[in-house]
This record gives sequence, C-alpha cells and structure tokens, in this order.
Amino acid sequence: MADRWFEDFVVGERWTSAPRVVTDDDLADFTRVSGDDHPLHAGPGAILQGPFGVAVAMGLLQGLDIHGDAVLGLLDTHWAYRRPVRVGDELTLEVTIVRARRTSSGDRGVVTRAMSLVNQLRETVQEGTTAAMIAARSAGPDPVGRAFGTVGWAEALTDKADLADELASWDGAIGLRSGDDEVHVRIYRGRVVEVARRSPRGATFTLGADAATWLELVEAPDNPFMRLAMAGRFTVTGDGYEYLRLTSALHRLADAAREIA
Amino acid sequence: MRADYLPLAGGLAFVEQHGGGTAPPVLCLHTAGQSGVQWRHVAPALAARGYRVIVPDLPGHGRSEPAPGGPVTDLGVYADWCLQLIARLGLERPAVVGCSIGGKIALDVAVRAPDRLAAVVAMAADAHTGGRPSVRGLRRELADVAAPSRTDRTYLGTLAVVGSDVPRERAELIATMHRREDPAVSTSDLLGWATHDLRGQLPTITCPAHIVVGDDDLWLDVARVREAAASIPGARCTVLEGIGHYPMEEIADFDAVLDGWLTELAGPPAVTAVTA
Repeated sequence: MADRWFEDFVVGERWTSAPRVVTDDDLADFTRVSGDDHPLHAGPGAILQGPFGVAVAMGLLQGLDIHGDAVLGLLDTHWAYRRPVRVGDELTLEVTIVRARRTSSGDRGVVTRAMSLVNQLRETVQEGTTAAMIAARSAGPDPVGRAFGTVGWAEALTDKADLADELASWDGAIGLRSGDDEVHVRIYRGRVVEVARRSPRGATFTLGADAATWLELVEAPDNPFMRLAMAGRFTVTGDGYEYLRLTSALHRLADAAREIA
Repeated sequence: MRADYLPLAGGLAFVEQHGGGTAPPVLCLHTAGQSGVQWRHVAPALAARGYRVIVPDLPGHGRSEPAPGGPVTDLGVYADWCLQLIARLGLERPAVVGCSIGGKIALDVAVRAPDRLAAVVAMAADAHTGGRPSVRGLRRELADVAAPSRTDRTYLGTLAVVGSDVPRERAELIATMHRREDPAVSTSDLLGWATHDLRGQLPTITCPAHIVVGDDDLWLDVARVREAAASIPGARCTVLEGIGHYPMEEIADFDAVLDGWLTELAGPPAVTAVTA
C-alpha cells in the first residue's frame, strides 16, 4: 500500500488507470444491488445505471495505489453523466489533483481529484471531482503557487504582476475565484492596498472558474486566458463593464499566475 | 499593383489589382472590420502565379468610403456590392475567395450568381452561426462602441483564434494589425455575420465550391462547416490542422495553397457531381 500523505499530493499530478471492460454480470449485479430496474437498464442496448460509473471510478482510483493508510475519509463527489455506458465498453479513469488545502487543525488536509471516465473511443462518459481527507506528515507550510483563489496565492500573484501602469486610474477590488475559494485584491491607483478573503465593500467583479480550468490556465503552452474566457470557461459576476475594461490587466495576471505556478 | 478609388454604390471603393488583365480573375474578400491589407502577401504572389487578383476594401473598411446608409448589418448588401464591383471591372467568371464574413459574402455571391463565377472558396464560414455571437450583446456593444478596452479585446481575441501552428511573431503581427478597425463597422459586420442565414440557399450553388476551416478556429464549429459544405452539390471541404480563423494571414505560403485549390476547382468536377 502506498504511503502518501497530504503533502505528497501536488496540484497538477496525474494518473491513468488500466482499462476495465463492462460485462453482462456488471449490469445484472448493479441492477440487483441498486434495485434500479428501469427498462433503460435491461434488454439489448441496455444502459448501465449512472452511479455504476461512479462505483467503477472509485474502484479504478483505488487500483492506482496512490491512497494508503493516510486516507481518513471520502468527503464528497460532484459528478456529471455525459454519455451512456453499455456492456462491452472499456472504461479508463483519468485522475488529476486539482486542489490540496490543509485544514485549520494543521494535521490533515483536503485533496480534491478531478476524475474523468473515458471509453474506448476516448469519449468522456462521466466526470467530476471527489475530495478526500488525508492525514499530514508535518505542520506545513504548503506551497501557494497553485493554491488558486487563496490569499497566499493572490499575494504571490500581485507580487509578480506589475499592474501599476495598467491600473493607474483604477479604484476597486478584483475578485478571483477557483471553485468555492475566492480572494479579493483591492487596488487603488495601481497599488495593491489589500489582499483578503473579502474586501469591505465586496469585489467590483469576480472572475471565476473551477480548479481544473485554473490548472489548465497555468499549464497550457501559451497563455490561454482569452481562449478560455471566449469559450465560457471563466465566468464573471459583478460589474461586467469594469471586467472588460481590465481585459489586458487580467491577461497580465494570468501571465503572473503561470509564472508562480 | 495598381490601386484605384472607384465610384461604386454611392461611395468611393478602394480596390487593389495585381497581375495581368487577361489572367483568370480572383476576387479576395477580407474579414469583419478589417481591410484588403489582410491579403498583402498573398495578392502579389498569387498574381505571379498567373492570376489577376482583385482586393477591395468593403464599404466603411480600410480606405473605402462608408456605405451611404451607414455601417452595414446585412451581408447581402456586401454581396450585392461585390457583384457591382465585378460588373464595374468587367471581370469574366472570377473566382471569389473570402474569409469569415468575407467567406460568407463569397457564398452569398455564389448563391446570387453561380453561373457568373468560376469558383467560390469560403474560409472560416458556415451557413448559419445559430445566433452566435449574441445579437443582443452586439447591439449593446454598438450602442456603446467605446465599450471598454475594445482594442485590447480585439488584439487578445485575435491571438486566441490564431492557430497553434502559427509562429508567435506572425500571430502578434496579425493581432496588432487587427487593432486598426472602426468598432461601429466591425460590430455591424458581426451583426451581419450572426444573422445571415444561407442554409436554404447553399444547395442552389452550381459553381465549383470549396469550404475551408481551421481546426483551431474557436469561432467555427467544424461539424457545422462540414454540414454547410455537404449542402452544396459537389463541394469540397478542407479542415486545416493547426490553423485558426485567418488562413490567408496565418499560412506563410498561402498563395501556393490557394493556387492548388483553384486549380483543383477548375479541373473536372468531382465524381459525385458527374454521376448525380
């Protein structure tokens, strides 16, 4: 059994499982266990129950042998069903660590894994994230370069990005959100005056995406900020006019995010 | 090369011509908000390959005067303008080549006068965008053409749709030159792009046709482009790998590529067309 602690999980780490073929027995067994015998799950061309995919994903994850005695428990699963799974399909699990955050107790942390279940045609059939509580070896501190949406990350980001000219006439707060993690960078005339979970009057606008998108932003060969924004992968809440006004500054912040990652 | 200001449809049209008067004519159309400068490398090189190349600036673009009724929001107006230009210059069976709105205008010209064209090459265009970008958003932008950081968004947005095979310096040059636009005109062009629906008319195109799309073009869905091509009898369809929304600017030897396509289109029709 692997002996990987909280500190051993690095955002951006990836694994791919061995393939697993879906059999007639799988369909029969899962129908029996779940009691879900809707006509969709019977006869020729039967579709496996959605949660069968989740179950298989968890099994394939376990088969990767990356989780050992340090795992304290599974916290959540956020999942989407993209395409049907049928008997004869060959499923492979792709796992990426997208978030690792120590809890306030300091002796453990939450590790979030983005997981995709891919079929023999390389189509994603199901995908989502699952988080696990994992014991820590030490008391930290932890690296901030990929701790998207945290105060430490935003401080490193604003240290790296020179926005003095770009924002010389600006007064406001830029919100940056990764999943549920949001940080506000308060700016007055090009100077960063505060980096905090929340600025007193809220963010002028907040730029948000899931952690996997932030990871893609920092790992792509060229800064893909506009491509991701145009594809709707980033969302904006708050003052859209000010968001547009800061297009070039945000592109620079993305450059800085890539540098500190 | 010669350049003229020709009186056309109520304004002066700036038109470049490269190559001999008897060579097969090729009319090259630019993208939304831009100008014939997008063809500056291709036009002389294509002329050297034995074509008469005509590169206009559409009304309101580049060095052409504005359309008399203000910025154009109907690509059909541009298609009609192109037919007037073809008549004005006495072009005999020209090939019409265009990109983005220029590609869609080229298709519209082919719909209106298929018997008067040698061929049509439409790049980065489909039959109908399905309402993208949002017409409501574009109208809002038109009401406030100084919408913030317009030129930064044009620059960075262009970089985002240039293909991954294009060297960084070339991509930067394309994006930098695309900053030169009149936002009222380009936004109106995009309104035309988002609302022009040629789905019903493409099957009536009878001249040889070639539809081209880059697989890095975020603005086009390759499947929709294939559908558009499939609806034109005998049309060819090419997907360019590593290329984005501006093939004539992105591909270094595009004159050779286009010469190849035009030669192919001038040859015997595709087998399917013969047996149909």
